[in-house]
Amino acid sequence: MKKNLLIMFLLLIAAAALPFIVSEYGINLAAEICIMAIFAMSLGLIMGYAGMVSLGHAAFFGIGSYTVTILGSHLSNFYLLILGSIVLSGLVALITGAIFIRTSKFYFLMITLAFGQLLFALTWQLKDLTGGADGMKISSTMNLGFGDIVSPLGIYFVMAGAAILVYIFLRFFVHSPAGKIIKGVMENESRMKALGYDPRIYKLLAYSVSGALAGFSGSLYGYFNLFVSPDLTNWMFSGQVMIMVIIGGVGTLIGPAIGAGLFIFLQNFISTYTERWPLIMGLLLVILVIVGKGGIIHWFALLRSKIFYRRSQKRMEYAQNHAQKEEVTN
Amino acid sequence: MSLLKVENISKSFKTLQVLQNVSVEVQPGERHVIIGPNGAGKTTLFNCITNVLSIDSGTVYLEGQEISHLPSRKLVHLGMSRTFQKNNLFGNLTVEENLHLAVTSTKSYRYQIFNALLKHEDLKKDTDEVLEQWGISSRRNVKVNFLSYGEQRLLEVLLAMAAKPKLLLLDEPTSGMSPAETIQTAEMIKKLPRSVSILIIEHDMEVVFSIADKITVLHHGEVILSGTPEEVRNNEQVRQIYFGGGAKAHA
Repeated sequence: MKKNLLIMFLLLIAAAALPFIVSEYGINLAAEICIMAIFAMSLGLIMGYAGMVSLGHAAFFGIGSYTVTILGSHLSNFYLLILGSIVLSGLVALITGAIFIRTSKFYFLMITLAFGQLLFALTWQLKDLTGGADGMKISSTMNLGFGDIVSPLGIYFVMAGAAILVYIFLRFFVHSPAGKIIKGVMENESRMKALGYDPRIYKLLAYSVSGALAGFSGSLYGYFNLFVSPDLTNWMFSGQVMIMVIIGGVGTLIGPAIGAGLFIFLQNFISTYTERWPLIMGLLLVILVIVGKGGIIHWFALLRSKIFYRRSQKRMEYAQNHAQKEEVTN
Repeated sequence: MSLLKVENISKSFKTLQVLQNVSVEVQPGERHVIIGPNGAGKTTLFNCITNVLSIDSGTVYLEGQEISHLPSRKLVHLGMSRTFQKNNLFGNLTVEENLHLAVTSTKSYRYQIFNALLKHEDLKKDTDEVLEQWGISSRRNVKVNFLSYGEQRLLEVLLAMAAKPKLLLLDEPTSGMSPAETIQTAEMIKKLPRSVSILIIEHDMEVVFSIADKITVLHHGEVILSGTPEEVRNNEQVRQIYFGGGAKAHA
């Protein structure tokens, strides 16, 4: 636990020091990474802890951004707009989830995909409300109560703070009784029923929380990009975030965030050299998925066990001794 | 009043009649064993009692309350837990985590989304109690997939026990076990407190006669006989069906 706290502390310092090392372009990139990290963590929650693989998660991201855009033309309070996006996307997740969780595996994937595309079509069609294919500009600026935040540095700090908050929230969530039960449902739903749980309640809870967080990241993206378009709800975007989760590491909280960071970084880095960046990205992803089976997070675990090799060896010896003792007493 | 009363239940899968007017009663504190050849409908009976399968006709009462149409998850909260013939555990979780899930199911904080699960002292206490009582404390941090088969069977029962049921339904707790493990399991069932009534499906005759207060014999989905071990042992019809003619069953 102490080691974890230390790592958290170091990460925090790194996040705070980052803008003083990189250029303005880098700061912008870091802010975008923070937003995508929240989005990836939200999908990582249902993929890694509830076993629900959604291919329509961009829908909630889109609801978040469009809420900020559309409501933002009527009111300007930052907190209200953010809260509105979270509540609205959470509610949509709750209502649609009540239907979706009746399916599982491929059917769940297909129905979420269909839902995402439905929303995509809606943003396209409802021209008066969403601006249709042209997209929409966001008129309100970020104001946390002490003046407008317009500098890239300020925006970065808000996004980084939000990402850390979401991470802490999710940490609490997965360790809570409900979080543990959600994992139990993923592991063995029929036994959970026999133990007296109602799996549907817990799946719906996970899906709603995930949807609300995706909406939160979407609303932040609205403030970051100051422009929304139907592409934000497209299934390609859902696919991208799923890739982030997979290359980062399914089944962990921080894994998807790392995956998001790497994905955005590579995307920007490679696209400065060639227009054919998707080709190289695709190749890289294939290699990443094949080589890094459990995701990048597991490379870190491997690295850590190498560094702490001696300690883990001692622990092994202890375990073996212990096992022998047990045999003797038996 | 009997704790569990199964009254004339029938179940068929399309044209196959699996249970036909089956009635079973379990008194408080009783060890009631259901025996019968393969395909007699024993596990189906369990699935019908716990409403995993819906029954075609008949009624099931728990403490006088009709439970025939209650979803199986609600039965745990009424005091009825079951185990499975095939291990049905959380293989990727540790022994301790498995028990945590089983214990939490009856706690009021099972819907909390804050306050880490492990911060609840009563959960730790209940879990440790089970681990120590059954002498598996040293295995608490082992993933269930790495347990021996016998240990997994034990855990299967402990998960059902964790909710502190009044009635425990055990579906062949000794299936697939070595003779030594079978004896251990029988000892364990004998050790369970009398505050728990047990309805148990069992094949091993030694186990059956060593624990049974009452035996119900099921054959082709019908109850042949329900009586004391003595009555069952001396019944000609049961011997015909179950023990294949003249051979006398031995305890």
